[in-house]
Amino acid sequence: MTAARSWKETLRDRMPESLAREIEIFETQIEFKKAGKIGDKMFAETRLRRGVYGQRYDNGRRHDGEKTQTLDYPCESLTKGPETVWDAPGMMRIKIPLGKVTPDQLDLMCELAEEYSDQILHVTTRQDIQLHFIHIEDTPDLMRRLAAVDITTREACGNSVRNVTACQYAGVCNEQTFDVTPYAHAAAMFLLGHDDVQDFGRKLKPAFSGCKDNPCGLVTFHDIGCIAQVREVDGKPKRGFEFYVGGGLGAVPHPAKLLEEFTPEEELLPMMQAVCRVFARLGEKENRSRARLKFLVNKLGIEEFTRLVKEERTKLRPDPRWTAFLDDLANLDEKPLKPGSELAAASGDERFRAWFKTNVRPQAQPGYSCAIVTLPLGDFSPDQGRIMSDLAREFTNCSLRLTVDQNILFRWVSTADLPELFARLDAAGLGASGAETISDITSCPGTDTCKLGISSSRGLAGELRRHLSVGPELPAAAQELHIKCSGCFNSCGQHHVADIGFLGVARNVSGRRVPHFQLVVGGQWTENAKNYGLAIGAIPSKNVPLAVDRLTKAYAEGKREGENYREYVGRVGKKTVRQLIEDLTHVPSYAENPSFYSDWGDPREYTTGDMGVGECAGEIVPFVEMGLADSERELFEAQVILDEGNATAAAERAYQAMLHAAKALTRERNANLGDDPDEIVREFKLHLCDTRLFHDPYVGDKFANFLFSAHGNGTSLSSGTNATAAHQRIEEAQLFVEAAHQCYIRNASPAS
Amino acid sequence: MDAPKLQVKLFSDNVDSSNLEKFIPVFHRWIRDHVLDELMIDVADYSHVHHGPGVVLVGHASDYYLDLSDGQPGLLYSRKRQAPEPGERLRDAFRRALNACRLLEADPTLNPRPKFRANEALIKLPDRLDFSNDDPSFDALKREFETFLGQLYAGGKVKLTRVGSNKSPLSVRVVTEGAPDLHTLLNRVGGPINGSS
Repeated sequence: MTAARSWKETLRDRMPESLAREIEIFETQIEFKKAGKIGDKMFAETRLRRGVYGQRYDNGRRHDGEKTQTLDYPCESLTKGPETVWDAPGMMRIKIPLGKVTPDQLDLMCELAEEYSDQILHVTTRQDIQLHFIHIEDTPDLMRRLAAVDITTREACGNSVRNVTACQYAGVCNEQTFDVTPYAHAAAMFLLGHDDVQDFGRKLKPAFSGCKDNPCGLVTFHDIGCIAQVREVDGKPKRGFEFYVGGGLGAVPHPAKLLEEFTPEEELLPMMQAVCRVFARLGEKENRSRARLKFLVNKLGIEEFTRLVKEERTKLRPDPRWTAFLDDLANLDEKPLKPGSELAAASGDERFRAWFKTNVRPQAQPGYSCAIVTLPLGDFSPDQGRIMSDLAREFTNCSLRLTVDQNILFRWVSTADLPELFARLDAAGLGASGAETISDITSCPGTDTCKLGISSSRGLAGELRRHLSVGPELPAAAQELHIKCSGCFNSCGQHHVADIGFLGVARNVSGRRVPHFQLVVGGQWTENAKNYGLAIGAIPSKNVPLAVDRLTKAYAEGKREGENYREYVGRVGKKTVRQLIEDLTHVPSYAENPSFYSDWGDPREYTTGDMGVGECAGEIVPFVEMGLADSERELFEAQVILDEGNATAAAERAYQAMLHAAKALTRERNANLGDDPDEIVREFKLHLCDTRLFHDPYVGDKFANFLFSAHGNGTSLSSGTNATAAHQRIEEAQLFVEAAHQCYIRNASPAS
Repeated sequence: MDAPKLQVKLFSDNVDSSNLEKFIPVFHRWIRDHVLDELMIDVADYSHVHHGPGVVLVGHASDYYLDLSDGQPGLLYSRKRQAPEPGERLRDAFRRALNACRLLEADPTLNPRPKFRANEALIKLPDRLDFSNDDPSFDALKREFETFLGQLYAGGKVKLTRVGSNKSPLSVRVVTEGAPDLHTLLNRVGGPINGSS
């Protein structure tokens, strides 16, 4: 009798030894956990650092629209992390540095999707691939098969250096300073598993861009962001980078700050290493919600942080890897498969011409083009993946990149081949036009699979995509807008930097939960995501498509020559924009229209209970809702005041919004509560914070601290507030008010 | 059969691939009401993916797809883990697929009611460690397939054809003439499965 075959034995000679060993260790840790020899927290971080992530309902409970039911997994009490059931399916994040993927790698990931997942591959906003509904005990084999094609999932999640992203056009862009590909690749390899990145309090996300003006690299919202620069040194051109630190979206977005105007190429890796060391040494470790690099940079100030990094740089032991990659820069250049060519006049049919217009970019190299495959919601099937890998082999020299827009880019296509490439893609359902237009909507997973999702961002994005494709054709100006959707305040859908962003929130209407999205305007995608928008009002999910119709129509009719959406909003004012959607914020009663009480793509009656928080008994008290509504109004007014240039008054108004929300909640516990801010804050702390009723299940007292901080130094801030500080206080107030809504929902009685 | 991962697809001529949303509430109800005798977890909607997996009822041991692959809508049952004894696997997979078809055909909320064909099926083995989509793998399993299908179709003539590229999982198309209706087939493999609802 022969022993059963295994992937471990089958692939033994095809895996890099170090990866094979790592996977063996992980497999052993799985066995240790099953035997009770590793604690939950330790094992959770262990698996996260190998890309094995949790997924919605993995606490073993699911709301079916009527009640929460227990999912009776056979593993009984075995867990794979705190509140995480062993047998519950999870997500596998596959790290693809720079989104650069070969056809063989793509073929392999298609196999994995078929054998371990639910037949779908998902491209993320960080150029990763994610597979869902994976069982933890399948993950070692899955990792071995990836290792055999030179992919590691190491540090795809967890408190580590996440996927290094880079502009998908790097190397073929007409506007790049130089190709950042080899530098980003070197950084990814250098930092992977490095000793200096193993002791972070939170994750760290690096990004590279070849130029300052375009949006592809998005460096301003990254922990480390590098923009290609060339300077003349000793009469010769010298490559280097504008080096930024401390950017991030998340709950409170921070634009990155310039650490160094010009970091020479040979100093790139040691500077990144020095930043990692300072972050590991001084970054917050206890309070996870304040542990990202952006908080450390803010706390220390960029000058002090820079000084510490430069001091750390002098202490580093020299490492040959810092510069070894520079000798191979030219060797990493992609080569074309075919000679360059021009497109024959009148090529292709109408569908081809529409696709050509939106999905094709000429390369810097004459005769070659890039072609974008638009993936709805970032999804594709294994069959489609294999067709793309075959086409990449046939039309290019295996040159594919995943994009931050959740699409796939073919590079180095000989331009005359475009009609044939399009026809083959189109036959596989991959020929949709509209790349990087309003219908090419970015979305995080939201409530579909994410534990933190509040509203269905994918459901909304899918509905908007459908809505925009079946409706009358939009004017050209509106076509150029970008829409991005996040299912919660953590901003994985990057809503802050869209022209029109949506952020999932929940509201309580007459005792029932209603999915909503905050409308976020004023963001800027270009110039590496230079500006962040602010929320101007929550719209019930089911009214969002109508809101988009009105917003796009008003913009197309009202924009001035050369004006982008951010400039347009700045000129007409957020009040005007808000008026466009004012009536859409109204929620009809359940009897009148129950569809408002379920989310897009999910017929269950909506609940936030699936976030892992039980719904406690309580009473619906109208004055609470009124108070919360007041606080939202104050918030909106704060934005208008800020837009008018009065930062001090805006900050004060944002503080008042928090006070309103705190008072609304606290009055339930103390009916004699007055209007004195000291009293409100004191009583709020006593009744809602000390009791932990206000605590967010994931970030604890973070949101409450926004109020305490504003209350504590409100006067000093108000006396000399600049626009950035006021903007931040409005963001914080927004989060505080949302937390107040969530607190109210958690403690309100469920609908009878 | 030494294939713990096994899929069976039964085709439909009247499932509208552009309107799969109507199956989403049905699958949610199956979870809520424990319509099946196994742990089901969630519903995933991939109907936006061309010829993709459609709408998926995700379970712990099995998944059920309103599958659109190859442009041919059908119900695909997928055994992922906790497989029965080797000799029972094909029968169990066909039983669960046929049972899901029975439930969908009888669902009063679906209009028109979907109809699934009894005279054609697709068997897939998504396990490339042991089964490549090539003739040797097919030949090694063919007799076992024929024996089971001979019982299922009560001696009716059955044609087995390996389909798909060598990159695909081992895939075998089953075509028979004069097949009985789904209910008869279901009864031959053990009859309807009832959950705890």
